[in-house]
This record gives sequence, structure tokens and C-alpha cells, in this order.
Amino acid sequence: MNSIASTATGQNATPSASTSGHGVAARAVNVSKIYGAGDTQVSALDHVSVDFARAEFTAIMGPSGSGKSTLMHCLAGLDTVTEGSILIGDTDLTGLSDKKMTQLRRDRIGFVFQAFNLVPTLTALENITLPMDIAGHKVDEEWVRSVVTTLGLNDRLTHRPSELSGGQQQRVACARALASRPEIVFGDEPTGNLDSRSSSEVLNILRNSVTHLGQTVVIVTHDPRAASYADRVIFLADGQIVDELRAPTADSVLDRMKHLEEI
Amino acid sequence: MTTSTLPPPSPADAPPDRPPQRLKSGGSVVRKVSLRNLAAHKVRLALTVLSVVLGTAFIAGSFVFTDTLSHTFKGLLSDVGQGVDVQVTGQEDDSSGVPLADVDRIKTIDGVRAVQPVMSGQIVLIAADGKPTQSGGAPTEGLSYSPPAEQLGQPYEFTEGSPPTASGQIALNQGAMKLAKLQVGDHTKVLAPSTGTVDVTITGVYKTKTDTGGYIGALFAADQARSLFTDGKHIGTVYVAAQPGVSQDQLRARVAQQLPDMKVITGKQLQADTEKDINTALSFINYFLLAFGAIALLVGTFIIYNTFSMLVAQRLRELALLRAIGASRRQISRSVLLEAMLVGLTGSIIGIAAGVGLAYGLRSLLNSFNVGLPSGALQLTPRTIIVALLVGVLVTMFSAYTPARRAARTPPVAAMREEFASTGTSLRRRTAAAVGFGLLGAIALAFGGLAPSGGGAASLVGLGALAMIIAVLLGAPALSRPIVGAVGAVVARPFGAVGRLARTNAVRNPRRTAATAFALTLGLMLVTTIAVFGASAKHSINALVDNNVRADYVLTGPDAIGVPVQAGAVAEKVPGVASSLALSPLDVRINGKSSGGTAVDGPLAQLLPYKLISGRGELSGHNIMVSQTWAKDHKVGPGSSIAMVSSDKRSVTATVSGVYENNELLGPWLGSGDFGREVTPPQFEQNFVVLIKAQPGTNLATLRTNLENATDPFLVVKVQTAEEFKGSQADQINGLLGVLYGLLALAIVIAILGIINTLALSVVERRREIGMLRAVGIMRGQLRRTIYLESLLIAVFGAIVGVAMGLVFGPLFVHTLRDQGLGEISVPWGQAVLLLVLSAVVGVLAALWPAARAARTRPLEAIADL
Repeated sequence: MNSIASTATGQNATPSASTSGHGVAARAVNVSKIYGAGDTQVSALDHVSVDFARAEFTAIMGPSGSGKSTLMHCLAGLDTVTEGSILIGDTDLTGLSDKKMTQLRRDRIGFVFQAFNLVPTLTALENITLPMDIAGHKVDEEWVRSVVTTLGLNDRLTHRPSELSGGQQQRVACARALASRPEIVFGDEPTGNLDSRSSSEVLNILRNSVTHLGQTVVIVTHDPRAASYADRVIFLADGQIVDELRAPTADSVLDRMKHLEEI
Repeated sequence: MTTSTLPPPSPADAPPDRPPQRLKSGGSVVRKVSLRNLAAHKVRLALTVLSVVLGTAFIAGSFVFTDTLSHTFKGLLSDVGQGVDVQVTGQEDDSSGVPLADVDRIKTIDGVRAVQPVMSGQIVLIAADGKPTQSGGAPTEGLSYSPPAEQLGQPYEFTEGSPPTASGQIALNQGAMKLAKLQVGDHTKVLAPSTGTVDVTITGVYKTKTDTGGYIGALFAADQARSLFTDGKHIGTVYVAAQPGVSQDQLRARVAQQLPDMKVITGKQLQADTEKDINTALSFINYFLLAFGAIALLVGTFIIYNTFSMLVAQRLRELALLRAIGASRRQISRSVLLEAMLVGLTGSIIGIAAGVGLAYGLRSLLNSFNVGLPSGALQLTPRTIIVALLVGVLVTMFSAYTPARRAARTPPVAAMREEFASTGTSLRRRTAAAVGFGLLGAIALAFGGLAPSGGGAASLVGLGALAMIIAVLLGAPALSRPIVGAVGAVVARPFGAVGRLARTNAVRNPRRTAATAFALTLGLMLVTTIAVFGASAKHSINALVDNNVRADYVLTGPDAIGVPVQAGAVAEKVPGVASSLALSPLDVRINGKSSGGTAVDGPLAQLLPYKLISGRGELSGHNIMVSQTWAKDHKVGPGSSIAMVSSDKRSVTATVSGVYENNELLGPWLGSGDFGREVTPPQFEQNFVVLIKAQPGTNLATLRTNLENATDPFLVVKVQTAEEFKGSQADQINGLLGVLYGLLALAIVIAILGIINTLALSVVERRREIGMLRAVGIMRGQLRRTIYLESLLIAVFGAIVGVAMGLVFGPLFVHTLRDQGLGEISVPWGQAVLLLVLSAVVGVLAALWPAARAARTRPLEAIADL
């Protein structure tokens, strides 16, 4: 089924096989997600298969209702699939207990959400080390310091989220996602609420973490400019992967989006 | 929700052949949203209604309870003066009563139709099991039976058997029969203070309105009643009935003229006096319940207020949407108020029903401690319903109005933006007011503490305590940060990140934390104050016994009759007894005022060493000794003569031989046993207590057995060592404390429900945040633990403040009563610590359900707008 995506669009990209040689960080195999039952049944994902290579920045795009968020939620262990399987590294998420799933999110995945990223009662630093603290893991202070410095948060560490601007809050969220050196960082519209300057800051952070640190990053976005920071863009429509673009620019992404809407 | 707010199609769009659809006004749409909103969030609705139910149930319960009590007593009262036009008794404090000659004189007075002498006294009824019948707090009395012809007012109605006609026969009320498990025809014994045991046969059972809560009334034939309860020359009380056409006032005047030395009152006055007496007796319980009602009101208001501020905060977006589509501020406010009114009304109605249940439970609880409350039908008066409804509805509407106004004032766009942080306005003014009240309170407390012992000082401390409570009420939000922080640093530290989350959550909204904890604060403040009282009372008694009593055994009897005089005499002759000391009451009049001293029969210095300040320790003849305070108050010293009048009106001149240091056991002044017998009619003789000292070398265990055997015929005498005596005194105090704790347990239950309510709503409020925490890897167990800890910290915060206040108020109150037998202040530290630990447990218990709900939150809820 996964070949449908490429054949349907007639583009030269081959979505499911395009790993760049470093191995696969996450993989969806023949994944379907169906909400509801009977007449109200909605198929959010329809037999999707896709690999995400290590040390690669992938953007998932698609119109509203295309299933892009659902795909990310399933990949990130926030939601379960109806059919097929999800792998993070070599771990199959299918049938994992809530406890194992939570552990996996905590120890191996980083998150940057659109909003409500931070615990309002904790300081920026406490938010950054939260997943490690919860796990009872020792915080790699040197590493956290370097992340914080890189993200320009040194003088904001003792502030509470309410004392930070939206862009600063998202940078703290990025720092949290990177601080535990997860296998993969997922971003759900990470720049959805930001002005363009703050957006660029956050996207640069993610971009640099891939380029310089070999971090794997997957984001969902509807912003072609955000997608242009990625190595690879996957397009979803009606629950299926319909297209893929490598080395995207904002213009080329916009083109594809227009093209998709015309279909 | 939003679809229901869509305006109906405009008439222009309607097909022309149909009449134009009526446009609904914006107001009704908003109202519809309000109503649907109520129905849509069932848990939220249930919690809100619950908060109103809790508040109003408490109020209604208090009212129902007091109304029932006073109604039942009023019912009893209607009998008291019935058929009695004039009552004749001895002058106040004159226990001897009306001379028999005067009784005969009354009969000859013009306008008198009938005369009924009433002879009564306290007795002990021996139950079927051979033990004294326990009546709890209710009276146990023996009365003279008058045949219907002589009985003024309602004649006794016999349900079984017949009235007593001769000595050795009694009739009992139904309740007493049940309590003593006796049958008509049974032989048993009755004890009267002076005459000791009397063998009696039960001839009949009668019905009485008083027949509730442990009352025992034994009817004796007139002759026996006279010998048991009078000195043979006087009658305690005489009821007189007037002939038709003679008013109560007329008759009273005639009788008073004939008997100038007697106290003569009309039947109406008698009823009024009795009612006053009973109201005075009930005033403690009334004040307690009123205080309770006030606490209930306060706590209820807090719970309701808390709940509504959270509700409206949660609905800000929805309200903002309504504003955005054009609803006016007034419409929003009105819609919220309507909602509040419905919730308030529903909650109040359920609350009133629950209050009736509460009152019922309260009475059962109190009666299980043998308090002896009558068990008439529960009284639900219109006043109770109106007050509970008004309070429930108005408080709810007021609680909803403030946040609703804030909500209406919030710009729609600001509210609809995702991260709308609830703005914490400054606590500065509130805290400043708290400091003001705190200072006032501290000054009042200090003056109360320094003032001379007595009611004035206690009132000052009470006022100070009230000001302090207000100060704490206002200052609690500001206090919550440091206290929760400090407790959290200790308790939550081992829990790492979870502990930190809990700690910061607990002070996230200081106002809410303070309001949630306040119920517990108040409850535990009272518990601690009472505990300090109890411990101090026990400690004072122990110290008194330890410091003064040099006896090997202490003989005691029931409070009503004490140790029968003969029992004391018998005990003294038991082999091995070196000496015995009997203490009995001395009632005389000095300068026209009644004065109570203690008659000591035996070697006082040996068994109850006292400290002589001046003069000689001599009590022979008419010599008396007086306490320091008494000497000062009456300006007397060794050698002074004091003119006394005995209760049978004989003048006695006593001489002060010495002055002793104040001593709770000895009381204000002492006379010898002979002196006591001289001024006390034999039927009023009784011993409080008899102290026994063994001969050196006597086997104490054998002595005890001998003492027990010797006093066994008197049935009610207890033989105890000084230690056991202290223990039984402590038991009595514990019993009283038990009742109070039982009442306060209710306040604690309300406090717990309040915590559950707040937590559950704050979990709903923090749904997104909890979802995010789940997403970044917090385990369900960890999440639950976070909520447990948060709740624990709130509860312990409330407990610390409450216990601390109790530890200040309790000792101060005890201090103000240092001259009333509470000479020693004892602080039950162990109990205070236990309360803190228990409150921690309570906190965790309260969090069980909210935590389970929180743990069910799905991680996606952080991202998806569900």
C-alpha cells in the first residue's frame, strides 16, 4: 500500500525507502487508525508506512484532517494504532503497557507542543530537567548547560513560564526535549503560536540539533516556511502519504501543497 | 455547546407561506446555554451541588437539633405548672421547705380549693442486675404519689399495675422500667442519700412526657416519701389550687400574706422560672451549636465560593465565546447567576433533608454517651427551611457573582487565547488586614491572660481568639507559602520531582489553598483547645490527689447521693482501718447569702494534709477554718466570729480558728463533722467521699476485700485506691471529651469533603497540564502520588495553623479559669502531633478519588482540544 503514495503523485521521490544510511529512528508499518464505529467511523490513517532516518529532520504536512497529527501522535506513543505497528528504534509500540509506553516517552522521546508545554509552577530549569527528574535519572549537568547556553536561556533559568515570552517558552520546551538526549524529538506545530522571529529561533534550534548533534527530529506543521528547515517533507492527505520532498524550500513546499489541494 | 448558541434562521429566510419564526431574545439563548451547561458536566455539577449541600446541611442540622431540644422541653414544661395556681416553697437557698403547720394553714386560706404537698429527692434505683441504674445525665428522683383527687394538674396515667399505697411500694415510669429491666411485682432496692437502702416492690408503671433519655421517677406512697425526703417537720414544695373565680395573683397575695417567711409564686411564674432554668441548662449546648452553625456557615460559604470561582474560571472560554458573538456583560452575569440560583436551590433542598438526618445522628451519638436528651419528634420549623434556603441560595449566588463579573470583564479574545492564566491579584491588602486583626487579637489575649481569673478574663481571651481567627482567615493565603514550603521541604523531599510538583501545586493558588484548608483549621483549633482543657483538667485533678490525699482507699458513690452516711460509718469499723475521713457538704446562710463549706469528720491533717497560714488547725465545737481567699473576701481572720443560719433556721455562731492555703479539695471553709450534723437536717446528710487510711502492716489487698464486703449492702459504694480514683475521674472527663470530639468529627468530615471537592475541580482545571506531564513521561502512579502529596500538604497546612491556634487558646482559657479548679496547664503534645499525622492521612484519603481521576487523563489531552 505504501507505494500508492508515490505513484499517486507521480513524483520521483520514494517515501518509504528514503533513509540516509544512518539507520531508522522510527518506523510506521502499515498503520491504520480508525476513530469511532458504525456510521460515525472515521479513518484517520489508512495503511501508512513510513521510516524516519536517524539524524534527519522531517516535517509532516497536509491539510486539516489529513491525519498528520494522528500519525505523529501514534509515532510518539501518545495514541494507539488500530492496525499495523510502530517502532521506535527496535521497540515495537504495539501492545506496550501504559507503564512501558510512558517510560519510553520519558526516556527515549522528546516533545515540543504548540502550547501548554511547561508546568506553570516550575522554573524554566526545573521544566527542562523534569523528565529526567521524574525518571530519577541523574541529570547530565554539563550537557544541560551546553543546551541551555546554545538556546540562549542562561539568564532565564529561574523564571517561571508566566515570566517568559511565548518564544522563550518554546525555547525552554526545546531545551527540555533535547536535554535528555532522546532518540527522537517530536514537535506538534511547535511554532504554531509564535511570531516569525521566534519561529525562526525555534526552527534554527531544531535544525542545528540535527545538523550538529545528529538529533532526529519530526515535526507536524502547516507552515511551508517551517517545513523548509527540514531535510525531508512528507505530505499526507485523507490518511495516506501522498507525496514527499527532499531538501525543501518554502516555495517548493508551497507548490506541492497547492498541487495537493488541486487533486 | 456552540451549536446551541447559533441564532435561529432569520424570518427573511423562511418560506413566505409560513408565519415568521419568533426570534428568541439573546438573553434566553444565554440562559439556555447556562442550563445546558449545567447538565453537560455532571461531575462538576454534582460537586458544586455537594458543596451547597454540605454548607446548608450543617446549618439546618444545627437548627433542627436545637429546635427539637427546646420543643421537647417546652412540651414537658407545659405540664409543670398545670393545675397549680400558687407554689409555696422555703425562701431561696433554704432547703428545709415549708413547715407542716404552714401546710395546714394554707388549707384554711380563703379561696384555696386544694393543696398538694410535693416531696421529692434524689435516689438511686437498683436495676434487675443488682447494679445502680445508669440514667446518664437525666435526673433520677423519688416523688410522693398523690391520688388523682389530690393531684393538681394531670393525674398519673398507669399503664400497668397500680399506684403505691404503702411503704415499700413504688411505681416507675416506663423508661425507668426498661432501663432497669424490671417487671411489675419485682423486688429491688432504692437508695436515698440519708437513709441508705430501702427494699421496695414495684406495683405499677406510669406514663410520663418526661419519659425520655434516661429519666427515672419513682413514685412513693406519701408517708414513705415524707420519711425519705423530708425531716418530718417540713415539706419541700406545696402546690395550691384556687377556687373558681379566684385568680392566681389574688391567691398568691393571700398566701404570701399568711406566710411571710415563705416564697410564694403563681403557677405562671413557676412555669416561667422553670423555663428559664431549663434554658439556662440548655444554653451551653445552644451556644455550642450556634458556634457550630457559624462555623458551618463559614465553611459552607468557603466551599461554595471556592467551587464557583473554579467553575467560572474553567468556563472563561465558553463565556468569552458568548461575549464574542454578542452577549452583553449583563447577560453573562445573569446567566451565571441563574445557574448559581438553580444549584443553590437544589443543594439547599437536599441540604435541609441531610440536615434533618444530621440532627438525628447527632442526637443518637450524644445519647450513646448517656447525655440523656429527650427523644421527641425532630422539629423542622419554617425558620430552619427559610434560613437554610436563603443562605444556600444567596451564598451560592454571591460566590458565583464575583468570578462571573470578572469573567464578563475579561476581553473575549484574552479569554479565548489558550493560555489564559488566572490572575493572582495582590494579597497585600488582605494580609495587612490580617496583621491588624492579629495585633488586636494578641492584645486581647495578653490582657485576658493577665487579668484576674474568672469570666471577664475568659471573655477577653474569647474575643482575642475571635480576632485571631479572623486574622488567620485573612492571612492564611500569605501564610500558606512559607508553611507549605517548609512542610513540603521535609515531607515531599524524598519524592524528588513528584514532591516538587506537589509542593508548588499546593501553593499555586494561595487563596484557594487557604480556603480549602480553613475548615480543617477551625475544626482542629477546637479539637486542640478542648484537648488542652481535658488534659489540664485531668492533670489538675491528678495533682490535687497526688499533693493532698494521703489515703490508702477512697470510697465514692454516685454523684447524686454520694457515699451513704451509714456506709462511711461501717467502713470505719472494718478491721485494719487506722482512720477514716468523711467529707460532706455544709449549707448555711451567712449575712443572708447561702454559703457552702465542707464538713470533715475524721483526722483531717493525717489524710488530707493542708497548709495552715495563720491561727490553729482546730475544728472542735463551733470552730471553723477558712481558706485564704475566703478570709480575704469576708475580711475575717483567726478569732473572728461568724453568724450563720442553718437550713432549719437556727442561728449558730462559728469562730474562725485558722486560715489555710487555698485547697480545691477542701473548698472555702471547713467545719467539724459534729458541726455539720448540727446544721444539716438528717435527710440531707451525705458524704462526697470517704478516705480510708490503713493501720501500718495491714495487708492492703485484704483490707480492700473487707471494705468491699462491708460496703456491699449499700450497693453503690466504690472502693478505689488513690490511683484508681484519679483514673475514674479521668474517665469522666474523657467521656465528656468524647461527646465534644464526636460533634467536631462532623466538622472534620465536612473539611474532608471540601478538600475532595477542591481537588477534584482543580484536577479538571489542570487537565491539559496533567496531559502534558503524562506525555513527557510521568507515570500514573507518580501522578497519583503528586495529587496525594498536594492534598497532604494542604491538609497539614490547615492542621498546623489550627493546632497552633488551639495550643495558644487552650492554655490561655485554662489560665483564666485557674481559680475554678484548673490550676495546672497541661498541653497534650502527643495528641497535637497525632492530629497533624491524622490530618496528613485525611489529606491522602481526600485525594484518592481526585487522584484516580487525574491518573486517567490521557496524554493527548495536552495537545488536542478535547
